[in-house]
Amino acid sequence: MHSRYDIIRRNTLKARTLIVKATAAAGSGHPGGSFSMAEILGCLFYKHMRYDAANPCWEGRDRLVLSKGHAAPGLFSHLAISGFIPESEVETLRSLGSRLQGHPDMKCPGVEFCGGSLGTGLSYSVGMALSARMDGLDSRIYTVIGDGESDEGQIWEATMAAAKFKLDNLTVILDRNYVQQDSYTEGVMPLDAAATGPNPNPVAARNDPTLWRTSDKWRAFGWHVIEVDGHRIEQIDSAIRGAKQVSGRPSIIIARTVKGKGVRHMEDNPQWHGKAPSPEMVPIILDELKSQAAVAPSIIAGDMTRLDLEVKRCDGAGPDYIHMDVMDGIFVPTVTFGYEKIRELRPLTDIPFDSHLMISQPARHVKKYAEAGSDIITVHAEVCSVSEFGEIHDYLKGVDVGVGVAVNPQTPIPPWLKEFVPTLDQFIVMSVVPGRSGQKYIYESHQKTRTIIQSLNEHGFGGVVEADGGVNTLNVADCFDDGARVFVGGSSMVGQPDMKQAIDDIRGRISYARQRMLLHRAHSLGGSKLVHDWIALHVVGEQSDTLNKIARESSLL
Amino acid sequence: MPDMRAAYGMALLEIGQNNTNVVVLGADTTDSLKTAGFGREFPDRLFNVGIAEGNMVSMAAGLAYSGKIPFASTYAIFLPGRAVDQIRNNIAYPSRDDRRGLNVKLVASHGGLSVGPDGGSHQQLEDIAIMRAIPNFTVLVPADAASVYTLTHAMVKQYGPFYMRMARSKTAIIYDEYIIPHMQPGKAITLRDGSDCTIAACGITVAMALEAADTLHREGISCRVLDTFSIKPIDNTALEKAARDTGIILTCEEHNILGGMGSAVAESVSSSYPVMVRRLGVDDTFGESARDTQVSDLLAQHGLSSINITKHVRQLVR
Repeated sequence: MHSRYDIIRRNTLKARTLIVKATAAAGSGHPGGSFSMAEILGCLFYKHMRYDAANPCWEGRDRLVLSKGHAAPGLFSHLAISGFIPESEVETLRSLGSRLQGHPDMKCPGVEFCGGSLGTGLSYSVGMALSARMDGLDSRIYTVIGDGESDEGQIWEATMAAAKFKLDNLTVILDRNYVQQDSYTEGVMPLDAAATGPNPNPVAARNDPTLWRTSDKWRAFGWHVIEVDGHRIEQIDSAIRGAKQVSGRPSIIIARTVKGKGVRHMEDNPQWHGKAPSPEMVPIILDELKSQAAVAPSIIAGDMTRLDLEVKRCDGAGPDYIHMDVMDGIFVPTVTFGYEKIRELRPLTDIPFDSHLMISQPARHVKKYAEAGSDIITVHAEVCSVSEFGEIHDYLKGVDVGVGVAVNPQTPIPPWLKEFVPTLDQFIVMSVVPGRSGQKYIYESHQKTRTIIQSLNEHGFGGVVEADGGVNTLNVADCFDDGARVFVGGSSMVGQPDMKQAIDDIRGRISYARQRMLLHRAHSLGGSKLVHDWIALHVVGEQSDTLNKIARESSLL
Repeated sequence: MPDMRAAYGMALLEIGQNNTNVVVLGADTTDSLKTAGFGREFPDRLFNVGIAEGNMVSMAAGLAYSGKIPFASTYAIFLPGRAVDQIRNNIAYPSRDDRRGLNVKLVASHGGLSVGPDGGSHQQLEDIAIMRAIPNFTVLVPADAASVYTLTHAMVKQYGPFYMRMARSKTAIIYDEYIIPHMQPGKAITLRDGSDCTIAACGITVAMALEAADTLHREGISCRVLDTFSIKPIDNTALEKAARDTGIILTCEEHNILGGMGSAVAESVSSSYPVMVRRLGVDDTFGESARDTQVSDLLAQHGLSSINITKHVRQLVR
C-alpha cells in the first residue's frame, strides 16, 4: 500500500475511542454504523483525501459525503483527529448549541453534506462530481452509503445517473455491515438475494462469497466494482487506489464490515444501531478498543526456497501482517533475504509487510527496505547510535512507513530511545536469540516485556509492543497479559500445515486473554455486579456463555 | 410571449449565455418545460435525469453546493408534490455562515387546476402550502409570461432557494413590458388602485381579478387589485396598507384554500391590521379532468372566475 498503514491504524483506533466518548456523553447516537466505517474513513482522511483543515472550503479539496448520516459520530471523530474541530468538542455531540448535530450539519467545519434523510447523498454527490468536472477540478468525490440505506430507491436513481454521466471522479464506498435499525438487512430487505431464508445470519452472509449478490447489482448498473474486507486497511487502500485508475465509469467499493466493529458486544447486534454505551461501561470499552491485537506470521519458518508460496499461504490465512525476518549474516550468523526479495514478494499480497531488519548498519539500508514496500520497519537497538536511529526515524516518518525498535533478550531499553518513544510505532521484544526459526520462548521475556512496557508508557508511547520468538498457542495468552499486542509466529503459524487454523487458534487464545482482562477491569471498577452487567451486554451468539465461563474460572463471579 | 414555459426557456437561454455557472436539470420533461433549448445551446450544462425527481432535486443541491446555479424543472405535482424530503433536507436545510439554504431554483409548471385533461392526479393544489412551510425558500407564483421572464432573471441575481410555479395553459398578458421594472420578490404589485375592497391574486387568477375589478368599477365599486406573486416573503406593507385603505380583502388562487396565498395574506393582516379576509380557492378537495375547452368551467366549479369574484365583492362591500 506504500504505506501510512500505521498512521491510519492508530488514528482509526483513536476515532473509535472518540465515538465511544461522544455517544456516551450524548446519551444517544449511532455507534454501530460509526464503528463499521471507521477504517473506511481512516483510509480517506489519513491517506487519500486532499484537504486543508484550516481552510475547509479550499476549492482543490476532495469531498466526502457521508450519505449514511446517522453515523455522524464516526465522521466527527475523524474531523477532530484531522484538525477541523478540537478533539474535546466531540463530547458536545447532540447538545443544545453544539456544532455537532445528531446528523452531520454544515455548522461543523469539514461537513460537506447535511445527512440524515437516507438515500439522497449519492444524488448530491453526482451533482458535486458533475460540477467538479465542469470546473476542470481533479478533485474526487467520496461517498459513503449504507446497506440499509440501499433500500431507498433514490440510491438506484443516482446509480443510473452516475453511470449515464460517466462520473469516474466519483467513488462510492458501501458500508456493508448487514445490520439496520430493525434487524439484519437480509431479513428486513435483502440486498444479497441468495442470503435470504427463515433466519438470515449476518456472519454467514458476510463470510460466504457464494451468497454475495450486491456487486452484481452495481455491475449491472454500469459501475466498476471492487470488493474488500472493510476492516482491512490495506484492502480498502488498494481499492481506493484502484478506483482512481478507472476512467469513464464511477466506482463502488463494497466493503464488508461488522456493525459495531471493535466492541464485541456491539458487533453484529442490531440493538447497537442507535444506542449509546452507558457511562459505567465506557472505561471497559475503551480498554477493549486499546487492546486490539494482531498476528504476524514469519515466512522464514516456511520453505525458504519458495517464499513466494509462503506469502501466498499467508495471504490465504488472513493474518494482520506478514513478518519479514531480514538477516544479513553479520548482525546475526544466518542470512535470510534482503530488500530485493521483499520487492519481489510485494505484489503478491496487500497484507502489510512488517520488516524486521536484523542487520548491521541499518541506517545505510533502511531506504531500500522502505522503497521495496515495507509498511513497518524495525531496526535493532544494538546496532544503532542515537544519531543513526534519529536518521532512520526521521526518514521513515517522512516516507510514511511505521518505525520500530527491537531489542535482543540480553539488551535493555536503550537510554537514547526516550526522545523517540512518543512517535515510535512499534517495539519488538525478542524472546529468542535471533538467528534461526524454531527456538523456544525464553521465559524471562515475560517480565522483561512488562518492565519495558511500563517504561515506554511513562514516556508517552503510542505504538504497540510486538512479541517475537517462540510465541505459540500455549504462551500467547501470557504474552498478551504482559501487554504485547502483536504476535509474531514462525513454526506456530507458518510452520503449521493449516496456517489459517493455526492463526485462528492463536487468535482464540488472545481473545480469551483479552476477555479475561476486561472482566478483571470490570471487577476492579464495580465488583461482581459490573462483571455481571458486562457479561449481560454480550447477547449475540454464545458470547455470554464464554464470558461466564472465563469469569468463573477467574473467580470474578 | 406565447406562454410561461416559453418565457422561462428564453430567459434561461439568455442567462446561460452570460453566466456559465447556470445549469439546468430536467426529469424527462425538458421538452415540455422548454428547457431542451438550453440543452441544445449548452449540451454540457443540461442534465436530464429521467423520471427521477428526487434524484434531480438532490443532484441540484450537490451542484449548488459546488457553486453552480441549478434550475431544476418539471411538473409541480412531481416537485413539491413528490420530492419534499429532498427539497427540505438537501436544499433548504444546509446553511453555512450567512448563506441560508442552497442556491437552487425549482421552477415547476402545471400548477393548479388549469392542468386540465390530465386530471386530479396531476393538478397540484398543495405546493404553495408545502413550500411556504419550508424555511429559507422564496415562493413565487407569477401571473403571466413577462412575470416569469422577469422573475427568472431575478432569481439568478438573488442567492437562495426559490420555488416558482407556472401554469400549463397559455396566460393572459398582464404586463406589457418584457422586464417588469418594479417586480421583485417580496413586493406585491398594485395593478389597479381602489378604496372599497382589495382583491389579491396570483397566477392565472390575476386576470380574473382584473376583469372583476373592471365590472365592479362600472357598478361604482372601487377595487384595488394586488398581484401577490410573491407569496413568501409576502408583502406585509402592501397588505397592511390595503387593509387600512379598503377594509376588506378577497384572495383568489388555484390552490387549496388551506395554506396557500390566501392563508399567507390572512396571517399577514391578522397581525398588522385585522380586517375581513375572504379566501377563494379549492375548498380542501381535489380536481378532476377537464378538456382544454372546459378548463374555465372546472375553475368556475371551484369558484375561480371573475363572475364569482364579482359576486363575493358585492356581498362584502354591501
